Amino acid sequence: MTISEDSSHAGMLAQSVGDFVKRGADLPRVRALAQTHADFDAAQWRQLAELGWLGILVPESCCGLGLGLAEAAIVAEGLGRALTPEPYTAVAVLAACVLEQSAGPLRDELLTGLASGERVPVLAWQEQADDFGGLQVATTATPFEGGYRVSGEKQFVIGAGAADGYLVTANAADGLQLLWVPRSAAGCTTGRQPLADGRSYGIVMLKDVVVPREQVLASGDAARAALNRALDHAAVTASAELVGIMKRANEMSLDYMKTRVQFGKPIGSFQALQHRAVDLYIQQELADAVLRDVIRQLDGAPDEQTRALSASRAKSRCADAALAVTRAAIQFHGAIGFTEDCDVGLYVKRAMTVSAWLGNGRNHRARYARLSAKVLRKEAA
Amino acid sequence: MSDWNAMSDEAFRAEARAFFEGEFPEEFKFLPRRMRWSECRDWYLKLSKKGWIAPNWPREHGGMGLSPSKLLIYFEETERAGVGRMPDQGITMVGPTLIRFGNDAQRARYLPKIIAGDAIWCQGYSEPNAGSDLASLRTEALPDGDDYVINGSKIWTSMAHDATNIYVLARTDRQAKKKQEGISFFLVDMKAPGITLRTIRNIAGHEEFCQVFFDNVRTPKENLVGELHKGWTIAKGLLGFERLNIGSPRRPLQALEKLEMLAQARGLLTDPAFAERFTQLKLDLADLGSLYGRYVDKARRGEAMGPDVSILKVWSMDTYQRLSELLMDAAGEYGAVEGEVAFGETAIDVLSPFYNSRPGTIYGGSNEIQRNILAKYVLNLPS
Repeated sequence: MTISEDSSHAGMLAQSVGDFVKRGADLPRVRALAQTHADFDAAQWRQLAELGWLGILVPESCCGLGLGLAEAAIVAEGLGRALTPEPYTAVAVLAACVLEQSAGPLRDELLTGLASGERVPVLAWQEQADDFGGLQVATTATPFEGGYRVSGEKQFVIGAGAADGYLVTANAADGLQLLWVPRSAAGCTTGRQPLADGRSYGIVMLKDVVVPREQVLASGDAARAALNRALDHAAVTASAELVGIMKRANEMSLDYMKTRVQFGKPIGSFQALQHRAVDLYIQQELADAVLRDVIRQLDGAPDEQTRALSASRAKSRCADAALAVTRAAIQFHGAIGFTEDCDVGLYVKRAMTVSAWLGNGRNHRARYARLSAKVLRKEAA
Repeated sequence: MSDWNAMSDEAFRAEARAFFEGEFPEEFKFLPRRMRWSECRDWYLKLSKKGWIAPNWPREHGGMGLSPSKLLIYFEETERAGVGRMPDQGITMVGPTLIRFGNDAQRARYLPKIIAGDAIWCQGYSEPNAGSDLASLRTEALPDGDDYVINGSKIWTSMAHDATNIYVLARTDRQAKKKQEGISFFLVDMKAPGITLRTIRNIAGHEEFCQVFFDNVRTPKENLVGELHKGWTIAKGLLGFERLNIGSPRRPLQALEKLEMLAQARGLLTDPAFAERFTQLKLDLADLGSLYGRYVDKARRGEAMGPDVSILKVWSMDTYQRLSELLMDAAGEYGAVEGEVAFGETAIDVLSPFYNSRPGTIYGGSNEIQRNILAKYVLNLPS
């Protein structure tokens, strides 16, 4: 693909994402989530598929668009802005990236289905909090003649409510395995942990689940590499969601400051509030600049260390900035900002859940410190 | 001349490292203050000869025309090697301003002198009663024959005692309705009769800035930049370049360099309280690099800086100060010791980043003024 085709594609994508966001149809749905917990609407998901957005990272051989993180991030930022609750990053980035690096007929079938919206594969990798980049796997895969029997428990699975199956990591004697477990498999049950924004984490419990050999998608170092890459890419699109969230929250605060009158003047004329608004705008622009830089780096397929450092830089800045911006939005709105009726609260809560998922700011700072200490040691040696 | 942007990042870094480490004089490495012209003249000429004196200028005017990523490497390697800060206003401010706002004759006359080290510039902006409120300046320039005659005084003029030239904002129309109107932008020779200097000692004990007095100082009419009475636009344009320069990661990198040396020497990286703050600051600085790249791209396209460039200045100087404060904290009891302190085999001047970063939130428009600008012109908040 030439650069001009590429950039016009990005331009058109930005345009259609913009139109989608402008409808603002997701806010009433999001508001209802607290009661219904229905964080997946099949019609909405079909629409995302028809727009081609689910297949952005899916290779063309599997009926996807075969584009890069830059395009996926445009969609993620737009959906973040619209507060769309469907698990775009979890499915169209995290699962799609893992599958893309896997092999076999099942891989092609799942990727094709993912792009068309007919299949919803979800990655179930995490077992403990604070484990981004650590990959501690206690789930076991015990071999038998036809494949593996798998037992363990996975947590923090965004998108589990809609999943038709899980991409599960498990340890076997011959190394890490990435396995496909249909939701309906005997011994597989899905629990739910409610989140602040009305969505939920899935808890996937596996008890002697039989996984035939054809359902092994990747093994050993290849599985680990695929997983690490997918996690970094998903952390970056989650960062794009956070940028969308914080930009909208900042707009809402600024609009309010221009119209709300106290002491006979718009409150936005008071210097104490102006300087605070500027500091949050600086955080937004830092987050945006880091995100663009990191996407450029990751789309250039850097070595694993550079990729991980960049992804952590993006997620730590975007997570902390989104939290700071949305929390301040409550303050700028005064008491009305603390009411359920005010949309500000929806943005605060989504910022909380997307920040916490796939490693929060602290987790990514710690990973950045670990990895850059390694670079220093290498330089010294 | 080589196309530095065509080199790989690694190759360019290797060349920069070898050059800065190998060629910058040992006795001036990690100098706790700005270099005087007498100290840095040879180095300036060496950079000039290599074609490396103006990394930010377009190549057609004798600069390197570096892309953002290469410019960052250039700064990282100068700070890693402890290269001192020279009187650099010609490079960072006058050059870009004349390229953008000057005429061909002014460019032909002044740009080569900056590259060659024949002209050292200083800034005639602030006055005793016009600091944050710069547009209320009272220094006056009136036409007389082929010249303008300037009277008044400028203050906080960094390195004026080394400068051969000064650019001056002066009032040319006292009757103008708004104080921003009726101001003009002049280039003045420091040897012109009627200029006198008073050096001012700063809190660190160094004489880096001056007050400059103008008593019937003549400058020829061709030294007016842009239109008469329309100097405020140019003044703001130059401030944009100044903010881009102050907003570069260069100065905070200097503090980070020392902080890393100190942390290694004292084994502080295993102290979780230190490590958390250290990593946060490293990220704050890395992220400044991403933001800076945006504006370098803009400058390379020949665009003037908009009011949003103020975000760079605020974040850069804020980060610089926080780094300097962590450096003091990391030194423990030595954080109060004046001059170089030996930590094992590493000698570090703990306090110089503290002193050097203090005025960073004041000069070039205080950080509070930058926030006012951003609130008004970028966030469009009411006044």
